[in-house]
Amino acid sequence: MNSDWWNSLVEKFQVNFIAEDRWLWLVDGLKATLIIACGALLLGLFLGFVIAIVRSSSENLLKDVKKWTLGKVLLKIGDLFCKLYLTVIRGTPVVVQLMIIYFVIFASFDVDKIPVAIIAFGINSGAYVAEIVRSGIMSIDKGQFEAGRSLGFNYVQTMIFIILPQALKNVLPALANEFIVLLKETSVSGYIGLMDLTKAGDLIKSRTYEAFMPLIAVALIYLVVVIILTKLVSILERRLRTSER
Amino acid sequence: MNANEPLIKVDSLVKTYGDFNALDGINAEIYKGEVVVVIGPSGSGKSTFLRSLNLLEQPTEGTITFEGANITDPKVDINLHRQKMGMVFQHFNLFPHMTILKNMTIGPVKLLKKSKAEAEKTAMELLQRVGLADRANSYPSQLSGGQKQRIAIVRALCMQPDVMLFDEPTSALDPEMVGEVLDVMTQLAKSGMTMVVVTHEMGFAKEVASRIVFMEQGKMIEENTPEEFFKNPKSERLKDFLRSVL
Repeated sequence: MNSDWWNSLVEKFQVNFIAEDRWLWLVDGLKATLIIACGALLLGLFLGFVIAIVRSSSENLLKDVKKWTLGKVLLKIGDLFCKLYLTVIRGTPVVVQLMIIYFVIFASFDVDKIPVAIIAFGINSGAYVAEIVRSGIMSIDKGQFEAGRSLGFNYVQTMIFIILPQALKNVLPALANEFIVLLKETSVSGYIGLMDLTKAGDLIKSRTYEAFMPLIAVALIYLVVVIILTKLVSILERRLRTSER
Repeated sequence: MNANEPLIKVDSLVKTYGDFNALDGINAEIYKGEVVVVIGPSGSGKSTFLRSLNLLEQPTEGTITFEGANITDPKVDINLHRQKMGMVFQHFNLFPHMTILKNMTIGPVKLLKKSKAEAEKTAMELLQRVGLADRANSYPSQLSGGQKQRIAIVRALCMQPDVMLFDEPTSALDPEMVGEVLDVMTQLAKSGMTMVVVTHEMGFAKEVASRIVFMEQGKMIEENTPEEFFKNPKSERLKDFLRSVL
């Protein structure tokens, strides 16, 4: 009895992963998932930082404006645009955004799916990164800003040399968490026919009529990747902390 | 700039927060080499006055002239003038993510375009002077309050300012650490540095000030030399204040 169970398991394993080199689909899928997640992370960080800086700058600089200069008007417009972006992106599901970008915006172009996914997930992630970074900037004591300005640094220099390094360190755990969420969110890439890790498992399932093995395998791969990421982040955090003690 | 002209000239300075007049028409002149101590009850506007001098507080009305330039004019690049005005805060405001040496050299390197070696040399000399040369590679969190404030003073000095502004530099310190900071400030005053000091340390005011100003409700009520200030206060308010603090 026991060996029957074992034999059927081995057989299922062979059908699902070994036959037709199906395990390679998972490898390719994982590659796509990682590329999308990393690309989207970079885009999201870039967008997030820009938006966070625009928003916190407009909070700092436009409090009681007596004279509207061109720069201040532009900042105000930028701030309104950022608010709109945050509202729309955080108010709609990422799957819908992905499909709109692929089937509507890029409908008439012949584009690769992976860059489209990177753009869609990057734009989505940027909204969350922006709020994380902004909270980090706001968590820095006002005195730090004043100390920077009183030395003669201008607003941007103070941000770059004094505020952002501290803010970034404070929000690093939250950013890592955002990356983990992002990695898992890319599992909806199949909606635009992109073969990511989840889609690869799904494909195996449709060929072998077996749900258990491929789906558990996919879940395990995500889990392992996330555990590795978590570990890396905790090492990084410890490094940053010891530099001050 | 003419030698007889004040280094800083404040003309009918007003600062309001909503309906509240934090500064209510201040006129003041600070000359090179003077140590002006500003005292007054809390809420009298003395910190606001000091922070207006380098425009950390944007004045509502009035002008401030520093080294002949009207720095309240929006066209003036305030950052260049701030390089010449060192500021020391109540809560030190050292940069916690940088070593002491980096705290002191970032300004000269990035703003004055000095070489790293040159900036570090100046910084080490200053650290030597305040007895903290061995802490050059420490981080601010490893220092005591008194040490932090001494570092904050020399960090400002690294920019080779023409005037130093002190905003209650000893108010956040444990009592046993006040002395070491006041010693550094006294030394600095003796070296001829122009200083504007907001403080509650009456002893320091008496010993070091060339002039003491008493502020109350956003106005400068009385000013005098230290001897006259403490011996012959004129206004009732100052008499009351001195009775309560001495």
